Amino acid sequence: MRPRVPTNVSPCVRLLKRNYTYNTPIPNYPGHVPTNIFQKLFLAAGSGIYSFFDPTRGDLIATLGEATALPFLMERLRDSMLADPTGRRILRERPRITSSSLHIDQLLEYPENTIGRTYAEWLKREGVSPDTRAPVRYIDDEECAYVMQRYRECHDFYHAITGLPIIIEGEIALKMFEFANTVIPMTGIGAVLAPLRLKPKQRERLRTIYFPWAIKNGASAKPLINVYWEEILDRDVQSLREELGIEKPPDLRGLRKKRISRL
Amino acid sequence: MGFYTRHATLRVFVRGCNAALYRKYRPSSRFSSSLASAPVAGETASGNSDKTSSAFDTITSGLYDVVVVGGGISGLTLAVSLKSSQYTSHLKIALVEGMPLASVKSWSPDPDIYSNRVSSITPASQQYLSQIGVWDHVHTERVQAYDDMRVWDGVSGARIHFDAFHLGTDDGTIAYMTENLNLQHALLSRLDNLSSGPPVTILDSTKVAEITNGHEFDEVDLSSWPTLKLSTGDTLTARLLIGADGVNSPVRAFANIQSRGWDYNQHGLVASLEMEWDDRQRIAWQRFLPTGPIALLPMPDGKASLVWSTTPKYAAHLKSLSAGAFCTLVNAAFRLGMVDLDYLISRVDEEEIKEDFEWRDARLPAEAEGQQFPVRVVEVQEGSRASFPLRMRHCDNYVAPRIALVGDAAHTTHPLAGQGLNLGQGDVSSLVRVLERAVQNGSDIGDEVVLQAYWAERYPVNHVMLGVVDKLQKLYCTDFPPIVGLRTVGLEIVESLDWVKKIIMRQAAGSSVL
Repeated sequence: MRPRVPTNVSPCVRLLKRNYTYNTPIPNYPGHVPTNIFQKLFLAAGSGIYSFFDPTRGDLIATLGEATALPFLMERLRDSMLADPTGRRILRERPRITSSSLHIDQLLEYPENTIGRTYAEWLKREGVSPDTRAPVRYIDDEECAYVMQRYRECHDFYHAITGLPIIIEGEIALKMFEFANTVIPMTGIGAVLAPLRLKPKQRERLRTIYFPWAIKNGASAKPLINVYWEEILDRDVQSLREELGIEKPPDLRGLRKKRISRL
Repeated sequence: MGFYTRHATLRVFVRGCNAALYRKYRPSSRFSSSLASAPVAGETASGNSDKTSSAFDTITSGLYDVVVVGGGISGLTLAVSLKSSQYTSHLKIALVEGMPLASVKSWSPDPDIYSNRVSSITPASQQYLSQIGVWDHVHTERVQAYDDMRVWDGVSGARIHFDAFHLGTDDGTIAYMTENLNLQHALLSRLDNLSSGPPVTILDSTKVAEITNGHEFDEVDLSSWPTLKLSTGDTLTARLLIGADGVNSPVRAFANIQSRGWDYNQHGLVASLEMEWDDRQRIAWQRFLPTGPIALLPMPDGKASLVWSTTPKYAAHLKSLSAGAFCTLVNAAFRLGMVDLDYLISRVDEEEIKEDFEWRDARLPAEAEGQQFPVRVVEVQEGSRASFPLRMRHCDNYVAPRIALVGDAAHTTHPLAGQGLNLGQGDVSSLVRVLERAVQNGSDIGDEVVLQAYWAERYPVNHVMLGVVDKLQKLYCTDFPPIVGLRTVGLEIVESLDWVKKIIMRQAAGSSVL
């Protein structure tokens, strides 16, 4: 119960001492920040514009993702999890990917080409940790919030399985892939708007090679949200790729090197 | 008052008889006794060849004014209704039923066990049954009236709520849930109890082997009278043959009446259930799932009756499940989302289904129980799960010369509106009115012209009800988003307009359709 304003003081004092949080909606889950439609639009615009100019601000991209997550699209994604035995188990067990749930040092000792090893190598090379993922705050439904959290925490695994590097082009190609696979609006917004900052040659490469690959594979592959990554860390990347129906895209770093050497 | 004292009727009956025969018949003043007593006819035939005489003997012994094929609720109601009317009680009536009726007659119900075949009886039908004296014989402690109806869309969650207010009657009952057996028992008791006129000849455990037209004898031309050869070897000849013999009516086949319609590719799964506790709310619940509506209807003492229309595959699966898993799925079907339900139906392990259900159910607000969906089902009565195919059928005509169809023989509907039995009761009441009028006018009750008044009265009424139910079924058997959106908006508009709900309720209660 929130404390009520004492009634035995003068109206002026009461107004001053009024507990203004009394009018805010009750959060639906710990960490939830209830927002109305205007607040969401404001958040989306602010985070969208800022992250356009500074794509390294992962927190703003996360906010953009939450503010633009239309409930029916998130429910659609959640339903695709509920319809799948593994996805359902994920929703029920609610696993979180953190540095304490995954032992990165141990993963580095896994055999080459296993998912665990590839993932750990990504983390090491980029100098990030699973803990850098921001918690979900602006999605109103508690279960959909978890779905968004899960998508966010699994994002690095998507890099591992597609082999797309964490340079801006790779991110954009992966965003398009994720949009085709999950239909989270932010991934689509990112994939469409972020290339505006690229050089024409990079844009062309995306348009002719990576976007067709992303759309085709993202739409035809099984929903990646239903992969219980924690349980298949020792699996071979290629065999999982085959199971999910994903082709490995052309090597982006290789293509870039080739072009640079030609110059 | 007998038929034979009435000149006009006589002319029709003894079409083709000579004047001498007419004189011979005349002394046997009561129509019924003359039909029953073969010697009178035999005497007249004495001058003719032996062969004809013996054939005529057998025919006359089985000569009836009305032969009802089918001892279901429609057929029995018709017999009771004719017997209890002052104008038609003298008619000689036979009722043929394929199943034994002795067990129905001596039915002594166990208060803990309810039959899975139940029907919803509208106030109009209930009134009619009291009028013909049947309701006094019904075990009313096994009848549950309900005064609240909650219907909602499983895909969008849009809801509509009807209560006594919308019906505008005194006691506010929307309908009565009754076991079919209870009604059948009451009807048979009432038949025994009726003393006016000759008793109804009930031929149970008897199948109709063949229906043909009668013969033309020297004395009397019965060639337009339907003649039934029974499995017992007896022959019945009817002035008026009533087909109350269900969907695959042999009488309809004989009359060559076309029945049109389609199968719903759904099965109606019925079961007798026990609720977790008796919430004393008297609510009928129905949720429209894309695979078909599921309805939970209150029965006395915290029991309930289930009608789950679903795909034949699901129906077979639900019947094969363990009792515990089945109850969990019924609860899931009223509470959970479509994805959850589809997932649970695809599972077979009872523990897994229960655990998964509890996990999803815990997410629902506690106060919704008993308000937005029924309290939990905890038990299904053993052996009470059964299913039958659902279809829509409507005959082009309900009558042919000397033939009339009533109830399911004339029309079959989806159970979603609980109207099947009530349409049949409406038929019976209309047909009896028509026959009463015919008797008063001195017309032949088997005359097609007479019977057509019945068809003309009932066809449009039934057609509207069948059509509405059919469209509702089609509208709700999809999860195509634009359709779901439209029906949700439509339902919400109706929900907000009390006068529209009042009209709907009055139509459904059977007070005045059209």
